[in-house]
Amino acid sequence: MNQPEHELAKKIVQHLDYGVDQLEPRARARLFAARQSALSHYREQPVAVAGLAWAGQAAARITDHRYASARQLAAISLLVAALVGIAYWQSNGVTNEATDIDTGLLTDELPINAYLDKGFDSWLKRSSR
Amino acid sequence: MSDFLAEVERRAYKQALFAVRDDHAALDIVQDAMLKLTEKYAVRPTAELPLLFQRILQNTIRDYYRRQKVRALWTMPVSSLFGAEADGDVDPLETLDVQDDSKFSEPPAEQLERSQVLAFIEKALEKLPARQREAFLLRYWEELDVAEAAKIMGCSEGSVKTHCSRATRALAATLGKQGIKL
Repeated sequence: MNQPEHELAKKIVQHLDYGVDQLEPRARARLFAARQSALSHYREQPVAVAGLAWAGQAAARITDHRYASARQLAAISLLVAALVGIAYWQSNGVTNEATDIDTGLLTDELPINAYLDKGFDSWLKRSSR
Repeated sequence: MSDFLAEVERRAYKQALFAVRDDHAALDIVQDAMLKLTEKYAVRPTAELPLLFQRILQNTIRDYYRRQKVRALWTMPVSSLFGAEADGDVDPLETLDVQDDSKFSEPPAEQLERSQVLAFIEKALEKLPARQREAFLLRYWEELDVAEAAKIMGCSEGSVKTHCSRATRALAATLGKQGIKL
């Protein structure tokens, strides 16, 4: 920008500043009310909460790059946790069943249903030969 | 925060008013911008507040434009359906050009009051294309540097310089037509 343009811009801005000083009382009052409303919200945040909020915002900013939002992150975490839970529950159930049979065999405390099972009977005969 | 808001609120209101030409809407925009600043950026260092506030303010003005455009999109077919005449709504975005106005065509008085000159300047600013006005006000009124203005406007520094230059020339031309010499 050349010098005359810059000078003109400065003079225009001086007039605009004058206009701001001459702002009508109604608009001033409304702006004052708006400011007070915004500040009351600001004052409601204690320092510790403000610190936590800052940390939260920082964390959100970091995660924002990888996920669209914190909600998505929470949903994904919940889904992963549910899948892990189901897998654990299923593997644990099968293991428990096998452990019960092994324990019963070793302690000769098999349930009566085991002796009624034909497969088990033939297995006993085969293993005793 | 209080001092900062008290310092910028009236300029912010004027900026919004130049952009939307409706004092109620302009006051709403400033109120929204102040609330967003205190809600989201209350813990940021004071030195960062001017840039943050300007970014919020300009985004809020743009949101207002978008809402107006959407409203116009919906109301136009309805009004045409009922055969209503267009009510003179103008797109406040880039489509605006500096034009002669009948109000300005009166012979200028030699001794204009300062308030009269101000009224001319404000009218001329309102008639600038939105991006030119935004660049001009950010650079010269808010005294941001070119890089900061470019960041807020989401454009290159070269574009900011071009918009500023065009805005100043357009203002000079408009004021010149009225015989106003600053």
